[in-house]
Amino acid sequence: MSQSIVANFKLVKGPIYSHCFSQDKRLLAITFGTDCLVYALKAQGAPVLVATLPDHDKIVTAVDISVHGRIVTCSQDRNAIVWEPISDGSYKPTLVLLRINRAATTVKWAANGYKFAVGSSARIIAVCYYEQENDWWVSKHIKKPIKSTISTVAWHENGILLACGGTDGYVRVFSGFVKGLDSKAQAAGSPWGDKFPFGALVHEWYHGAWIQDVEWRSSLEKLAYVAHDGSLNVTDSTGARFSTFSPEGLPFLALTWINDHEILCGGYSCHPVLFTEGSKGWQFSANLDKAGPQPKSPSTAGSAGNEDSSEDLPFGLSALQKFKQLDLKGKVTTSVQDTTHENAIAGLAPFKSTNGSVTEVSSCGLDGKIIIYRV
Amino acid sequence: MSQSLRPYLTAVRFSLQAALTLSNFSSQVVERHNRPEVEVEHTSAELLFAPMHISRNEHEQVLIEPSVNSVRVSIKVKQADEIEQILVHKFTRFLEQRAEAFYVLRRVPVQGFSISFLITNRHTETMSGAKLVDFIIEFMEEVDKEISEMKLFLNARARFVAEAYLGEFVY
Amino acid sequence: MEDWRRIDIDAFDPDSGRLTLEDMRPPYGSHVSLQELQPKISQLRSAAASGDFKTAVQIAMSDPPYSADDATKFQYLLAVLEVLTQVRQHDISTILGQLSLEQQDVLVKYLYKCMSIPEGQKQGGILLSWFEKLTQEFGVGPIVRYLSDKNTV
Repeated sequence: MSQSIVANFKLVKGPIYSHCFSQDKRLLAITFGTDCLVYALKAQGAPVLVATLPDHDKIVTAVDISVHGRIVTCSQDRNAIVWEPISDGSYKPTLVLLRINRAATTVKWAANGYKFAVGSSARIIAVCYYEQENDWWVSKHIKKPIKSTISTVAWHENGILLACGGTDGYVRVFSGFVKGLDSKAQAAGSPWGDKFPFGALVHEWYHGAWIQDVEWRSSLEKLAYVAHDGSLNVTDSTGARFSTFSPEGLPFLALTWINDHEILCGGYSCHPVLFTEGSKGWQFSANLDKAGPQPKSPSTAGSAGNEDSSEDLPFGLSALQKFKQLDLKGKVTTSVQDTTHENAIAGLAPFKSTNGSVTEVSSCGLDGKIIIYRV
Repeated sequence: MSQSLRPYLTAVRFSLQAALTLSNFSSQVVERHNRPEVEVEHTSAELLFAPMHISRNEHEQVLIEPSVNSVRVSIKVKQADEIEQILVHKFTRFLEQRAEAFYVLRRVPVQGFSISFLITNRHTETMSGAKLVDFIIEFMEEVDKEISEMKLFLNARARFVAEAYLGEFVY
Repeated sequence: MEDWRRIDIDAFDPDSGRLTLEDMRPPYGSHVSLQELQPKISQLRSAAASGDFKTAVQIAMSDPPYSADDATKFQYLLAVLEVLTQVRQHDISTILGQLSLEQQDVLVKYLYKCMSIPEGQKQGGILLSWFEKLTQEFGVGPIVRYLSDKNTV
């Protein structure tokens, strides 16, 4: 295990699409098949399963925990459920009136915990809030001009601006202002505009490739997103955009801001990658959890020397085998896994931070692991 | 021969690596469905990637059609003469009839190709992506070998049968 | 009678929100016609004829006719194919080394496109060695970008 790993939990046998820690980092919620599993973190050893939230009947796509400890899950069965913690440690489910007729793909609580946004394949974002008189979670829709599935949403810390991205290749910022819940003072002095009626399109960027994740840096009024062409982009209210590409070429699925000038990305290369903003803009700075420098290309002859994949064969044969493989496949097959995640990283979240800079980051992967990295 | 086989397989390997970046994606056309988008291509153009066509010559080609949650890989196996055509047909048909044992094999090849694979996000989530690529590459190597071996056997057998049969007429 | 059970009714619904290939084309300001492109093609050919492949590839890979119609693109494609197949094996790496990021992406597009037409398939060997050198030099990145790029050649 490499230096940068703080903890490595293999929790389930199957992909974890989304994970979330509670505010005090004692509880961990993950998606697993059609369920959402809640674990309690222990000082020593693996987390202990404390609750299973079973009400969905299709794949659960996302989970989020509010500042008040409410868990919201959404699923491909078109529903979202808010789980209210009750004193005996179990959860009381309330179905949300999403009014969408396709899968819900992503969900995020606003920072204050009174409303959340659900992205869906129905080309709709539903902004949901609690309605006292009916005792229900109701939703308002943002429809236009979304053209395809929403794969990610992110709230600005002011609770009004809502960034989203999806498979239509656009990053958009909408206003998620809910009358009676939000006050105009929250967005006073925002560089993004002065009036934010609900559902108004504040800004949009065309990128072309699918957008996999967007994340705000509220204090800087900046927005970072990763797209399926392997790029990391940082942009702000002026529309100026800075792009840089993944050093290994494979696209990123998740990103998180470390501090004002550092972003951590994770994706199909199975290990997090750190980008830093320097005098020349955003640039690749380090790979986390990756053993040694890789050969530049698998077909260079140099990589043959240090492989010992066929030790069980007699000497002459193994050499012959090596050359045969090198010749035919252009690559020596390696069974050595050089990253802790064995499959793509699906989500990243800050775990611990000191003075506004994140020091530890948690990740979930399609291999069913939760890993905490030291940055 | 292997000189020009290597670049071919390298190209397929890299293309597959890029294409096997799949995610779980529920249909945005049909309610509560989750289907390989590459197989329903007339519904959502934005979910399909640009297809990748890799060819060594007119007879040996690979077509990789990636989409958001599935990749279709079609291979055209070298068929130099009619015997090879028959052998390839029999061989691929044998495999296709047992497709469930191979997980990623498609029962019917894409028009113009000998055999097709369909890799979905289920496969990339439960199997190692690198191993899946290795499997396809290995299949491409082996199938050529297999066919030429079968052809040799067939010829040897034919010669033997002919000799035994016609030997009757020799004094 | 038409097989009405198989009619795709959603295609007739303007509110279906479905995107077709046409919608995916990025908005182009103007369309390049064959006449406008002709000087560039002849420039390409003359550079290749004089043996200056470095310049020829550079020209071919910068500012390709994305906005042109298919017939025009095909003419340009044939010219590019001609240039690519004339380059000698051991010159490929040096030429590749001088390509910018955008030019690499364009090259990948042309390599795939060339391999999909019969004219290019006859030259599969040389195209594949271009491809191999490209992946040696730049890894999988240009291919990933090729996948989601909606500008076609």
